[in-house]
Amino acid sequence: MSDGTTFKIDGREVVAKPGQTILQAAMDQEIYIPYLCYFPKMKPQGSCRACMVEVDSNGRKMTVASCTTPPMPDAEVITNSEEIQDLRKNIIELLMAEHPHGCLTCHRIELCGPQDICQRHVTVTDRCTICPKNERCELKDTVRMVELDLRTPLNYHRRDLPIHADDPFYDRDYNLCIVCSRCVRVCDEVRFDTALTLTSRSGVALVGTSQGTSLLESGCEFCGACIDVCPTGALTERTYKWEKAVSEVTTICTNCPVGCQMVAEVNKFGKVVRFKGDLAGAANNGQACMTGKFGYEYTNHNSRLRRPYVREGGILRKATWEEALNRISLGLGGRSPDEMAVLTAPRGSNEDQFVAAKFAETVLRTPNIDSGLNINDALLSQLEKRIGAGAATNSIWDLEKSRSLMVVAGNPTEEQNVLAVPAKKAIREGAKLVVIDSRETEFTRYAAEWLRPKPGSEPLLVAGISRAILDESLEDKQYVDSRLNNVTELKQSLWSFDLKKVARHTGIEESQIRRAARIFAESDAGAILVGNDGLDDTAATQVVDAVVDLAAITGNIGGDASGVFPLFNGANTLGARDMGARPAENGLGVTKIISGMKDNNIKAALIMADGLSGHSAVLEGLTSGLEQLEFLAVSAVFDSEITAHADVVLPAATYAEQTSTVTNLERRVQLLRITAESREEVRTGWETICLIAEAMGGSGFDYSSSSEIFSEISSTFTNYANLSHTQLQSGGIQWPTADGDNLGTPTLFASSDELITVIPLDYDEFANSVSDNQLIFAPGRVLNQPERDVEVRKPEEMNYINREQFVQIHPADGDAAGVAEGDAVYVKHVDGHTLAHGKVVFESPQPGLIGVTTLFGELATRMHDLEIPDWSPHMPNLGYSNVILELVTDEQKSETAAD
Amino acid sequence: MPTPFEELKTRALKRWGEFTSDEKAWIRIGGGTSGQASGADLVFDSFKSTVDSSGANANVSMVGAMGLMYMEPQVDILMPDGVRVFYGNVEPSEAQEIVTQHVNEGKPLLDRAFAYSGGDGTTTGSLPSLDSLPTISFQERIATRNFGETDPHDLLQYIARGGYEALNRALTEMTPEEIVDEVKASGLRGRGGAAFPAGVKWGFLAPSTAPIKYVLCNCEEGDPGAFNDKGIIENDPHTLIEGLIINGYATRSTHGYVFIRTGHNLPIEAARKAIQDAYDVGLLGKNILGSDFSFEMEVSLTGDSYVAGEETALMEAIEGKRATPRFKPPFPAAAGLWQKPTNINNVKTLAYVPEIVRNGSGWFKDIGTETTSGTAIVCLSGHITYPGMYEIPMGMTIRDVLEKIGGGVSEGERIKVLQAGGPLNGLLGEDAFDTMIDFDAMSEAGASIGSGGIIVGNETTNVVDLLRNLIAFNQFESCGKCFPCRLGNTHMLEILDRMCQNKAKSSDLALIERVGVSMKAGSLCGHGQLGFNPIASALKYFGDEIEACLAGDLPTPGVFGDGTMILPTRTRP
Repeated sequence: MSDGTTFKIDGREVVAKPGQTILQAAMDQEIYIPYLCYFPKMKPQGSCRACMVEVDSNGRKMTVASCTTPPMPDAEVITNSEEIQDLRKNIIELLMAEHPHGCLTCHRIELCGPQDICQRHVTVTDRCTICPKNERCELKDTVRMVELDLRTPLNYHRRDLPIHADDPFYDRDYNLCIVCSRCVRVCDEVRFDTALTLTSRSGVALVGTSQGTSLLESGCEFCGACIDVCPTGALTERTYKWEKAVSEVTTICTNCPVGCQMVAEVNKFGKVVRFKGDLAGAANNGQACMTGKFGYEYTNHNSRLRRPYVREGGILRKATWEEALNRISLGLGGRSPDEMAVLTAPRGSNEDQFVAAKFAETVLRTPNIDSGLNINDALLSQLEKRIGAGAATNSIWDLEKSRSLMVVAGNPTEEQNVLAVPAKKAIREGAKLVVIDSRETEFTRYAAEWLRPKPGSEPLLVAGISRAILDESLEDKQYVDSRLNNVTELKQSLWSFDLKKVARHTGIEESQIRRAARIFAESDAGAILVGNDGLDDTAATQVVDAVVDLAAITGNIGGDASGVFPLFNGANTLGARDMGARPAENGLGVTKIISGMKDNNIKAALIMADGLSGHSAVLEGLTSGLEQLEFLAVSAVFDSEITAHADVVLPAATYAEQTSTVTNLERRVQLLRITAESREEVRTGWETICLIAEAMGGSGFDYSSSSEIFSEISSTFTNYANLSHTQLQSGGIQWPTADGDNLGTPTLFASSDELITVIPLDYDEFANSVSDNQLIFAPGRVLNQPERDVEVRKPEEMNYINREQFVQIHPADGDAAGVAEGDAVYVKHVDGHTLAHGKVVFESPQPGLIGVTTLFGELATRMHDLEIPDWSPHMPNLGYSNVILELVTDEQKSETAAD
Repeated sequence: MPTPFEELKTRALKRWGEFTSDEKAWIRIGGGTSGQASGADLVFDSFKSTVDSSGANANVSMVGAMGLMYMEPQVDILMPDGVRVFYGNVEPSEAQEIVTQHVNEGKPLLDRAFAYSGGDGTTTGSLPSLDSLPTISFQERIATRNFGETDPHDLLQYIARGGYEALNRALTEMTPEEIVDEVKASGLRGRGGAAFPAGVKWGFLAPSTAPIKYVLCNCEEGDPGAFNDKGIIENDPHTLIEGLIINGYATRSTHGYVFIRTGHNLPIEAARKAIQDAYDVGLLGKNILGSDFSFEMEVSLTGDSYVAGEETALMEAIEGKRATPRFKPPFPAAAGLWQKPTNINNVKTLAYVPEIVRNGSGWFKDIGTETTSGTAIVCLSGHITYPGMYEIPMGMTIRDVLEKIGGGVSEGERIKVLQAGGPLNGLLGEDAFDTMIDFDAMSEAGASIGSGGIIVGNETTNVVDLLRNLIAFNQFESCGKCFPCRLGNTHMLEILDRMCQNKAKSSDLALIERVGVSMKAGSLCGHGQLGFNPIASALKYFGDEIEACLAGDLPTPGVFGDGTMILPTRTRP
């Protein structure tokens, strides 16, 4: 059975893999059968009937849909008999009678522009040439492949439905919809959002949101998966909607550490006009997210920096590279190493990071170098210490097979979005989810147990779960005995985590801790996604220790569909760390560099700013630090609040203008490819640093290409040994890689010989991390709150969510602040600015914890409207703040009403 | 010690005795949807209050409809002397007179009555006996045996007339395999339309050792002109419940669902009450009748959808999804409801099962024809003298049913066209009237027993208009999933609209055939595959009329309207 089924298609012998349908087997053999509703990596649907074939099995003749029918052994499949061709033509002819197709019978279709005068009297709205997908329409291709004669006697009707162009990022024109339901299915069975549905039935069946609402209210995460599967022009990205592509290039998205493999469509002017998830991408399986799908286009933007600038008389003026390099070597030269710092770009490639590290070490001789978004350093460093890699133990798509999941202090659906896709799949298929987070996030909605502790007590809670597991003897005993070092010490240390005390400190009931422990320990394969949101360095270290110990005693390190996944920021933070772009001994990391600037300990800096936002809450105080510097050189793609303080600004290349490598959170080294022509004078990160280094008299920077740098990387770091650009052409590889194979290491500790060392946990230190007597604001955000009304307003034709927020407060805090349920309050940061306002509800489970849950739709419109070409680094995350509560006065109320 | 069933039977017989004693009269009013539609509710109220106020010595019950719809509202009175007299088309105002004269004075109103039963006929003058009426005498009542006899809401009355004996026998004397064999041997074929042997189908599910297995009963019954599934559930729900429990036992299933279309209010109410009553006396739930067999049952409702009656769409609907058909394989016996092994049968199929188990497969096999054993429950409506629901042995000719039972059309007129078996099946012309009612013979004639509905049209019926009406139904009810059905029905309807408005071209005939053939070969489920049947059969029997219509010779459309066209509203988004 497992060998598959042998049968014949049009006389050719074919072997179908187990589980394959006739259509899939035919596609593997490159035998063309037309289809419209089937899409790779989705369940077959069997609705378009374009893939009908004849099957003769043991003399029984049938006409079947090849997309849903598994082949029978020794069957004869005929794909192109006259009857079948007629049947297909007739069915597609029916379809064309409700789809505009005026140009399909015209030989000028390839030459004709949308505005050309047509002498065939085809109504403008029925022309293919005005369809956004004219050059890439699957329906058109299918019509041509089946050689359909479109002079049909059937009645053609144009639907004349309004076009939905009032939601962020994409348009929906259901006049062009063929009701294949791919979009509905991808949203449901791949993304698990069910924001789209089929509406009505019979001749008026169509696609829409379930209540006819805007996408903002429907639970849409604007991932764009529906656009990528749409065979017609019904769903299209709004930007570059009508732009034709002349080539497609496979590359990597550089917005977050998931590292999705994308297909970039490039037009004849060398602009990247579309970005879509690559079905062959190992890290993303064809998926992308809002920032990946729509946040790529900054590379084309007119306001890109095109040449160097130097500051003169307080203003930046155009300069030559030579001039700029001179200024930098003067500005950085002759300084004490300790007063200088280098921040590398979060999006910077491994080659960039490697050269930057070499520059800091050999030219500036400063230990102060870090990746600009290495804000999760404590988390990653401790993970590296514990398991030898500040990265995931397993592959991202392993998660789809997990039977239980735990998410600690992280918000993957927003910050590592595509990582959440396989996790959501596992949950849909029955895996139980435990969430430990004080904020309401999308994952808390799917949680079997949502533990909502006092902020900062997450490590204590994880350790408490381990204790509960030992109490109930739920640990994986065989694994513990054979694979772990130091177990006795760990067990002993856990006896001091008395669950009653843990319950008191975390604010989580003992019974719930026990339930969470059972869920996680009783399943076959459990994975833990761990972040450090709201945790200081000490707590971040502790949470890693607690998580690794928990994963170890439950036997979840080294197996399939299990493991530990760190949730961190910065597309290539892991690559930067691997390349040594991190503080040397006694050096300062990014947060200390920023505070060093403010304290005037750091006086000069080089910042590679691609992917950095000066306003980002995670880099608090960066801009005020920059103000204090004596000298600042910035390599940037755009003018920004960072370049505003620079003495020299160098124009940087984007992801689209280089061939280089990045490393994602599952240790996959992937290749960025040149998709757009590089503009004059724009330089990649490594080119820029090499020029600076040479200008400052450094040696060993005369690289001719990034692949040359990569060879040096490969021979320097053992994790990157046996890798090369050439090898990565055919897909990313997870380090480390053994000599001569391209397999890499999908799972760490996979060999049963490798021992894992657990470490004892210190109750008193853990308990100390929990801060009391403060009001902490833990903002939440979800895709959908069906239980709450949402009003959508439409100023200037676009949809905006307009609803009063509920401020969740613990009754004790309400009493202390003198507010009652129903009062209108401001939640203000201790420094005075307002973070939220709304109506008080006494629903917070923890004293000191204040929550407000907003909708993802609000964020989507905000990002869509942001007048910053490169908006993705400006996505606000759900950061914690120390706050005060303030009653809204009557005056302020009337002001709001006047608005 | 008496067994649980013996105890039940004792209670039941005692209850039956309360109604049929030699001391009290029993007034039965035929209810059901058809009875109530003609005013049976008011008649019942009127009799009830008359008896109460006059202190007449009688019980009054609303019982199931007997099926003689031309006589409704129908009332019968069983006197203590055992003579039962039937009154038809009773008005509420007649209650006073009937009760006073018949019950109190013992003088039946012979000029108002239409039949009697029981006794020797001496007290009933020239009244014909019920069994001599052609609308009764040609019937062989198995599934409808209790119609007009028992109160459908009274479990004990059902048991008193032999109910649940089959279940008791199955649980105490037979293994599941023996029951499956018995049903196979009986030759019972599925009454839902496909006519697949029921026992064979049960045999697909029975061997599966899955811990949860489902048996479903399909009462979507959305066919215009069909009311026998609803009839069985509303008039005698326990015959179905018993059949489904036996089905569950025979296939070792754990759960049963009775799936009824929303809006079939009386059947829903009756099924829910019957299931609850069965739970209350241990006929459902854990260890049924003290045996090892446990079985749960509940009613599940569709939305307003015809395609929900397709077996896999029905499963989607129970799961709470859009009622659209799944592709097969996998077949329900492998992965059905909630992907568990599942068996699904029509109401009528299951309703025969208790009597088959009680009387043996040989008894059932002897009824009907060689290839189709048992009976057909025919619903006659349209231009016919005696509309109603009649259970006839398989093998009667259509003409006999129409003329002998149905009484033909009005004098001097001729039956022109029949629409048999629901809107997905063919029209029949006079040439086909000598066809036997039997699955195979009907299918040869280009029609089907299908749901059992026969709509009769006289010479005033315009075939093109009738076709348009049927296709409009099919189009409206398409689930919209597969392209040929969603689009093909729309185009067929548009062409028929053109024909009805005298705007069609002669080439439209070829076009509609081309669309129809693609639907037949290309559609995902029966709704599309069979959607061309009405037109195909109309071309066979009424080709001249259709061609005449295309040539512009257009009789006034109007059997289903007053000549004004109702244009389709749901053809295009």
